[in-house]
Amino acid sequence: MSEKEPLNIIITGVGGQGNVLLSQLVGRVLVRGGFHATIGETYGASQRGGAVMSHLRVSRKMQYGPLIGEGHADVIVGLEPLETLRVIAQYGNPGVAVITNSRPVFPQAVTSGGAKYPTRDEVATTLKDLSRRSWVVDATDIALELGPPILANIVMMGTLVGSGLLPLGAEPFEAELRESLPADRLEMNLEAFRRGIAEVARTA
Amino acid sequence: MSPPEIKGNLQLRADVIDRGLCALCGACAGICPYLVAHRGRIVALDDCAVERGRCYAFCPRVATDLDAASNAVFGAPFDTAPIGRVAQVLMTRAARENVRSSAQYGGTVSAIVAFAIERGFIDSAVLTKSDASVLPAGVLVRDPDDVLSHARSNYVAAPTLAAFNREARREEVRRVGVVGTPCQALALAKMRASPLENRNNVEKLSLVVGLFCTWALDLDSFTRFLAEKTPLDRISKFDIPPPPANVFQAFSDSTSVSIPLDEVRRFIRPSCNVCLDMTAEFADVSVGAAEGVEGWNTLIVRSERGRELVDAARAAGVIETDALPDENLNHLKGASLGKRRRALANIRQTTGSDDDLLYLELCAETRSRLLAE
Amino acid sequence: MSFGSTAERTIDMANIATFEKGTSQLLMGNEAIARGALEAGIGFAAAYPGTPSSEIIGSLAEVAKDAGIYVEWSINEKVALEAAAAAAFAGVRSIVAMKQNGLSVALDYLMGLALTGTRAGIVLVTCDDPGALSSTEEEDSRIVAKWACLPLLEPGTFQEEKDMTRWAYDLSEELKSVVLIRGVTRTSHARGDVEVGERVPPLRQAKFEPSNPLEFTSLPAPFKHLAANQKIDKAREIFESSPFNWYQGPDKPDLLIVTCGSGWFYSLEAVTALELEKSVGILKLGTTWPLPEKLVREHLSLAEEVLVVEEIDPFLEGNLKELVGEDPSAVGPIKFYGKRSGHIPVAGEINPDIVTAALARILDIEHRPVQPQYSQKALALTSQFTHGRMVGFCAGCPHRATFWSIKNAIKLDGRNGFVSGDIGCYSMAVGPAGYWQIKTMQSMGSGTGMACGFGKLAEFGFTQPVIAVCGDSTFYHATIPAIISGIYNRANFTLLVLDNSATAMTGFQPHPGTGRSAMGEPAPTVDIPTLCRALGVRVEETDPFDLTGTTDKLLDLMRDDGGVRVMVVKRECALVRARREKPAYKMRIDVERCLGESCGCSRLCSRVFQCPALMWDAEKGVAAIDSVLCAGCGVCADICPSGAIIRETA
Repeated sequence: MSEKEPLNIIITGVGGQGNVLLSQLVGRVLVRGGFHATIGETYGASQRGGAVMSHLRVSRKMQYGPLIGEGHADVIVGLEPLETLRVIAQYGNPGVAVITNSRPVFPQAVTSGGAKYPTRDEVATTLKDLSRRSWVVDATDIALELGPPILANIVMMGTLVGSGLLPLGAEPFEAELRESLPADRLEMNLEAFRRGIAEVARTA
Repeated sequence: MSPPEIKGNLQLRADVIDRGLCALCGACAGICPYLVAHRGRIVALDDCAVERGRCYAFCPRVATDLDAASNAVFGAPFDTAPIGRVAQVLMTRAARENVRSSAQYGGTVSAIVAFAIERGFIDSAVLTKSDASVLPAGVLVRDPDDVLSHARSNYVAAPTLAAFNREARREEVRRVGVVGTPCQALALAKMRASPLENRNNVEKLSLVVGLFCTWALDLDSFTRFLAEKTPLDRISKFDIPPPPANVFQAFSDSTSVSIPLDEVRRFIRPSCNVCLDMTAEFADVSVGAAEGVEGWNTLIVRSERGRELVDAARAAGVIETDALPDENLNHLKGASLGKRRRALANIRQTTGSDDDLLYLELCAETRSRLLAE
Repeated sequence: MSFGSTAERTIDMANIATFEKGTSQLLMGNEAIARGALEAGIGFAAAYPGTPSSEIIGSLAEVAKDAGIYVEWSINEKVALEAAAAAAFAGVRSIVAMKQNGLSVALDYLMGLALTGTRAGIVLVTCDDPGALSSTEEEDSRIVAKWACLPLLEPGTFQEEKDMTRWAYDLSEELKSVVLIRGVTRTSHARGDVEVGERVPPLRQAKFEPSNPLEFTSLPAPFKHLAANQKIDKAREIFESSPFNWYQGPDKPDLLIVTCGSGWFYSLEAVTALELEKSVGILKLGTTWPLPEKLVREHLSLAEEVLVVEEIDPFLEGNLKELVGEDPSAVGPIKFYGKRSGHIPVAGEINPDIVTAALARILDIEHRPVQPQYSQKALALTSQFTHGRMVGFCAGCPHRATFWSIKNAIKLDGRNGFVSGDIGCYSMAVGPAGYWQIKTMQSMGSGTGMACGFGKLAEFGFTQPVIAVCGDSTFYHATIPAIISGIYNRANFTLLVLDNSATAMTGFQPHPGTGRSAMGEPAPTVDIPTLCRALGVRVEETDPFDLTGTTDKLLDLMRDDGGVRVMVVKRECALVRARREKPAYKMRIDVERCLGESCGCSRLCSRVFQCPALMWDAEKGVAAIDSVLCAGCGVCADICPSGAIIRETA
């Protein structure tokens, strides 16, 4: 891909989904690949069911600040569909590319029975309408095939890498997983990562 | 007349509890997680969102059609006669002396309830127990020998029907009797009449023994008052001896205190002031003291069920009967009518209208007869 | 002492001690500060956790053994500062970190320390939380620098976080003064690439050796106060040539932005977004108290319009105006823009959009941040779905069960009892997560301190039962003195210690109840019930998952009017437990039994109890369990009125 300056990526989800870790892994691989990377994170709700968002800014030239301006996201990665919609509404633009997990984490307004949660089709259609490219991926289902549901974040990392939206290929990410993970969890995570890559290739 | 409108938990709280009309019968408690009886109050733990609730349908202090309630119990509309529907009035007492001495008056209630369990009229009974701190509550009794240990009255309102709601769920309970006050008998009749999906097993209700009642006391304020007079944990019995004594007595093992009745009346639940019913007109049989006849009860047989039980108990020698002297019957009718009249006057004073009878929703005929009595 | 916590550390990330010199590393701002301290050769680090500061000491704790340093979680910020100052007095470089309200706790000692000075370098990092993203309040701690005569540094880039910290030790020793570093959430909790330098091991020659009897006291105070002012004058001189202050822009700008900290990146982006590189200059200051006056005057004289960009209070703005006021002729007439003019908000976070809008407004430039048509369309398509997410107790959290019992006990008691609370995960009980039960919340331990007052109002006709709550970490931090005060003064209240065996809100740091030190070693345990019994009060203990038992005990305690009563409500934090164990139960719904919306239930579990794992299946009209979220605690089975929530041993 052509490198945008800076490349603005937002990774979003709900507290407890491994959002922070995902942004850290991606940022770390990029820094090792010679890029400047800045990540701004919302922490307050990171483990208590609140909306969580990481702003990741990537540049060959310089370090950028930790916050992306409204309407200036280039890539949105959503671990949770409703959060993806929330972020695209605030940070999207016609040129944005979006990948979202399909598995809902229902907000209280929905679990307690009052409010409507969008169907998978409604999510897909809305994202298609608002982006230049979009994917809806069953990352949690894939994760549950392989192990715990939190693995969905590594599946989503695979989809992000597989989509070609990052200026780096799969190898450095696999190398990073090998380095950061204990042996007993490595294979499961590598498999999750590869399933993510395959998933966007399949729907390309 | 269309049936009274059944509303939900929030409206029950607004119409009854917040207005001080709660009789603490317990009918609304124990059927859901929202309303519970605790230390002399019905407590709303959370807001329920159901729009038509059993709590509202069962409550004897809201949306009450006496004809519908009577139809559910007797298969006939409400009888506006001074002591309600009557098949027979007797003077009775337990045959066994030890029953009489343990009970409040003649021991009739204990005797016939124990007998009813023994003979399989019912397999268990919901009675009212009070523990050392005068904290009354309903209790399910399955063994006839246990009946007597709950024979006393302490004149404090008890949410006995919460125990019915709770205990009738048990599979082994199939035919249950309830001993209760007039408001509780009315609530049970409303349960039977309720058009809502019931689920509180009212079909298992096989006998209602009503207790005469002129009023009941508020637990919290009364016990605080009483505690200043005598240690609560030593009290073994309360009594209100017949006029002209005009006192309330609390007995402990060695001593007793007598409190002028007027002082005690301050703690009558406001709900009792709008209650029309002294003799438990919706019970199968109703029992009270036989005024002026030491050691005897007055017993009103009202339903076929009640007649069967009383006849069998008499035949079995469990109770002794005698004719109630006319003078006593007339006095009873007068007292009952007096309570009804006072209540109607209080109701109309509260609403400021002859049309709005607070919790009573009556057809024109019943209404005019009731007001004419 | 805050909302918000560290990231899930499921993967071992940076070991800040073992980086190779000269490599570029992705570091959180707090990690960069910690690395800077290691490069300065610190030997001693202490703190009480508080978001967004916790990772400074947390990351040092993780590498303490590798780096040969001592790290502790002290019981509160004041003790942390005192301990760190002791190390510095004995010649060991030390660091202490806290969030803004922690600084208030430490302030009593800090004022004395400021006059006393130091021997080895000591750096106090205070992390403010603009927008109160993880706090119960919003405040600017920089004013303390001016108040206490202490030099203040504000890093603007990730590299500076490390480099400034490293340099702060030289400054501290040169001035013989504590140095303050102020971070904010967006510098502390953001990550960026940092080139690391060489790590220096700490000196091992600790000795307390006053050169005169009063060296390590604040006496004689007026003399030491004068000395502190002289240190500030000296700092001003040093700051004139600091590499952390720079100017970027045209020689003669139409408008000068003066900024510091997080404002640097935002200002840079605003100038770039509006393509004003040729007309707007940025003076970025890293040393914000005392201001390097010559440098600042020099740049102020370049422009007639100045926009000050900073977070929270107009601290820099006020100091600039003060400076100009001293000698207006030196800089010429200046029109200031910033917080006083309303161009930069005085509350909440700032961001690039806010700075861009301020710049566009001042310079009267047409600026639309987003394409309005897209924006309208996006909102139209999404707004029906984007329901807010309330932050609440996790699935399996003991606090939900506790507040359920508190709610019920207060209702049953019927005397309008209420809860005075304080800071911790359980603070969320001010909202729906804890059924709105906590009614006061100000500072660590304040629930109990308030109860000391509420509990003495009987003679004024007050009849409500008073319940205070505090967490286990908060108990040690600030509650013990309040309990003793309550006992001594015969205040009438019940204290519930919500012991989840963790400083959960800030990231599960150990504390005196956990049996483990900051460096992972076994540690003595200060047992809360034992301590309270030793104070002579009635103490009950309960498992919050026993709803009936907890409610009954609390009801009994509320009716016991005998002074201070304590109930320790103990159950481990579900997140901590989940790291070690599988869920205790597998939960399922018996749809045949579920009463759903009908009378007798009215969706108690999903509508009222509101565990996030309990859902309402509107189509089928029954409750459902989200197996991904469910922690298997089993509590919901006990609230279900129809026995439809089934608890199976997992």
